[in-house]
Amino acid sequence: MDKLEAKNVNVFYGLNKVINDVSISIKPNSVTAFIGPSGCGKSTFLRLFNRMNDYIDIFKMEGKVEIDGKNIYDKAIRVEELRKKVGMVFQKPNPFPKTIYENIVYGLRIQGIKDKNILDETVEKSLKQAALWEEVKDKLKNSALALSGGQQQRLCIARTLAVEPTVILMDEPASALDPISSAKVEELIYELKNNYTIVIVTHNMQQAARVSDTTAFFYMGELIEHDSTKIIFTNPKNERTQNYVTGRFG
Amino acid sequence: MNNAVKNRIKDNAFKYFGIACTSFGLLMLAIFIGNILIEGLARIDWDFITNFPSRNPDKAGILPALVGTLWIMGLTAIIAIPLGVSAGIYLEEYGRKNRLAKILEINISNLAGVPSIIYGLLGLEIFGRIMGMGGSLLAGASTLSLLILPVIIVSTREALKAVPKSIKEASFAMGASKWQTIWHQLLPASFGGVITGIILALSRAIGETAPLIVIGALAYVPFVPASPTDEFSVLPIQIFNWISRPQKGFAINAASAIIILLLVTFVLNGIAMYLRNRWQRKVRW
Amino acid sequence: MSHLDIELQQLKADTIKMWTLVNLQLVKAKESLLNLDKDLARQVILSEKRVNASELKLDLDCENIFALFNPVAVDLRFVLAVLKINSNLERTGDIAESIAKFVINVDKTFDVKLLEITRAVEMFEAAIKMMDEVMDAFDKENTLIARKIFQQDELLDEINNKANTIVAEYIRNHTENIEPALYLLSVIRKLERVGDQSKNMAEEIIFYIEAKVLKHRSDSVKNKK
Repeated sequence: MDKLEAKNVNVFYGLNKVINDVSISIKPNSVTAFIGPSGCGKSTFLRLFNRMNDYIDIFKMEGKVEIDGKNIYDKAIRVEELRKKVGMVFQKPNPFPKTIYENIVYGLRIQGIKDKNILDETVEKSLKQAALWEEVKDKLKNSALALSGGQQQRLCIARTLAVEPTVILMDEPASALDPISSAKVEELIYELKNNYTIVIVTHNMQQAARVSDTTAFFYMGELIEHDSTKIIFTNPKNERTQNYVTGRFG
Repeated sequence: MNNAVKNRIKDNAFKYFGIACTSFGLLMLAIFIGNILIEGLARIDWDFITNFPSRNPDKAGILPALVGTLWIMGLTAIIAIPLGVSAGIYLEEYGRKNRLAKILEINISNLAGVPSIIYGLLGLEIFGRIMGMGGSLLAGASTLSLLILPVIIVSTREALKAVPKSIKEASFAMGASKWQTIWHQLLPASFGGVITGIILALSRAIGETAPLIVIGALAYVPFVPASPTDEFSVLPIQIFNWISRPQKGFAINAASAIIILLLVTFVLNGIAMYLRNRWQRKVRW
Repeated sequence: MSHLDIELQQLKADTIKMWTLVNLQLVKAKESLLNLDKDLARQVILSEKRVNASELKLDLDCENIFALFNPVAVDLRFVLAVLKINSNLERTGDIAESIAKFVINVDKTFDVKLLEITRAVEMFEAAIKMMDEVMDAFDKENTLIARKIFQQDELLDEINNKANTIVAEYIRNHTENIEPALYLLSVIRKLERVGDQSKNMAEEIIFYIEAKVLKHRSDSVKNKK
């Protein structure tokens, strides 16, 4: 069964239609890249899956967004529960102004987990998964803000992993990083796909090509083409996709 | 003369104009403080602080006024901080950003600019008469709380606004509720700003005279107030009272009392600055 | 190990797999020629389909690596080299197939004496050895081994150059064996091509490891390090 599925989704900001009749299905344990020019709606669409758009006053949507076959916009869904299952990593590394340790356990603390053993275990496990353990294991009590940008971003990924989501949404996770840190984050994404379903928005087409299994091209709020990344980058079916991936857009 | 030279002359001219303006302000302050110090410093001793007011300027002290000021500060803080901070949090985080919110926002900012004597009249009517508190400490503190509420609300909102949106998003994305996000992230991160606002508001309240006179604070208090329902005096009123007397000795007393009042204000401001710097060092974005 | 490294390793493994297959085709072609084993020759012709399939797969893999990973520097040269080695291998596979076809078409065994005077068997073995060694050079990323190939090719050229005269002489004396003799001459021509393919592949290996272009240079230059 598909992990994520959107059916005929329309999104409005006030009177502006920013997503126009998009349907997509995403397989479990895969990396899907959303590409497209700025303002094409890919970030907005990504944020539908953990309902981060709900905070925008003028946001309105139609259609269905399903995770594991359940409509997440159903009245019975508690959005806090949903977000434990669907983690998110943002463009700019945004660790909390707390220690590295507190950053990781935040998700558990707000769930009311106090057992020190569980917290300690989670910190080690998540940092190892995010390939950060070796770099920070001796300074868990230091401020997370003292880490480098790339380490901060991997910390944010570790923080997300700590609550054991099944889906991870990434909104341009490497765009604010230098090439080396960016490559590390990419390798991490590649590793994580064995256990998680990952959706990544990126402006960097090479990044999409390198890390993803399937790629979806958005343009003007519409999903133009969604296919295996190999096809999108060697033989796209749609001319607009071809123009975009070859850099001849416009 | 070409343009670059002209621009440089203009640039320099403005620089010296700015220096002149700044020195003018500093000079006035120096003259004022120097004057007060010369006149009043010699009069300050332990007796001056522990004596009650007296008809004899040499025996008069500020004890009831100083204690009254501390009482007023404490009560005002207890009343105004929870109200102001909560209102600030509500308006910034919970209130929907519609037209009503905008009107509310403008009015709160306007309230901060209302002359303090108007608050005195309001306090006299509502706290003094309708609620029957009379000229008590509680009535005074309530009135001053009203006076500084807008400042606390506005500064709380500004401090919350200064927390990057990314932190809020991160917290929500981790599955935190709104209250958890405010309690665990926004308040700790904005604590420095909130505290600074509170202390600046309190140091404004400490110098207020007019509203307290209006609600009936006494100029002559021969006792130390012991409970919130007692009548009271505060330092500014004591100063005002002494200044208006003809004897030279009271003028010196007033100068000495001003030094004490300035000291208290500076200490409060100092604490505010210390806390702000401390928190800013800790929280770097 | 990075994602790209894994892909490149896979590409190398697939190339070596195809290479082994092509070398086996040559060995089988040789055996079928010596023993006039038509069954073995048919096997070679059948296996040629696998060689072609491998060529298509390697082409596609290279295309994907270019499109998805944008390799640069040594990685770029490696993929370019594989792309060319791939077509060299495919042609070598074709040669093995056409030799096998000769074996099927000829109705008489090759005269042992003819094989001896043309040194065809020696040539065949030398060609196979060259192919093996280039593959070894590719596998070990060793340009020293690759450089030795250019010398070995001289033997093949020598045998090929003399073959015309020798076969003409033989035909004059053995008019009953004209047809096998002509086939053998063709085989010798083909083997000379195998030597050329090996040389090309050695050049590609040196290009990818040392970033030196050796094409169309004299052999003496090639031997210099």
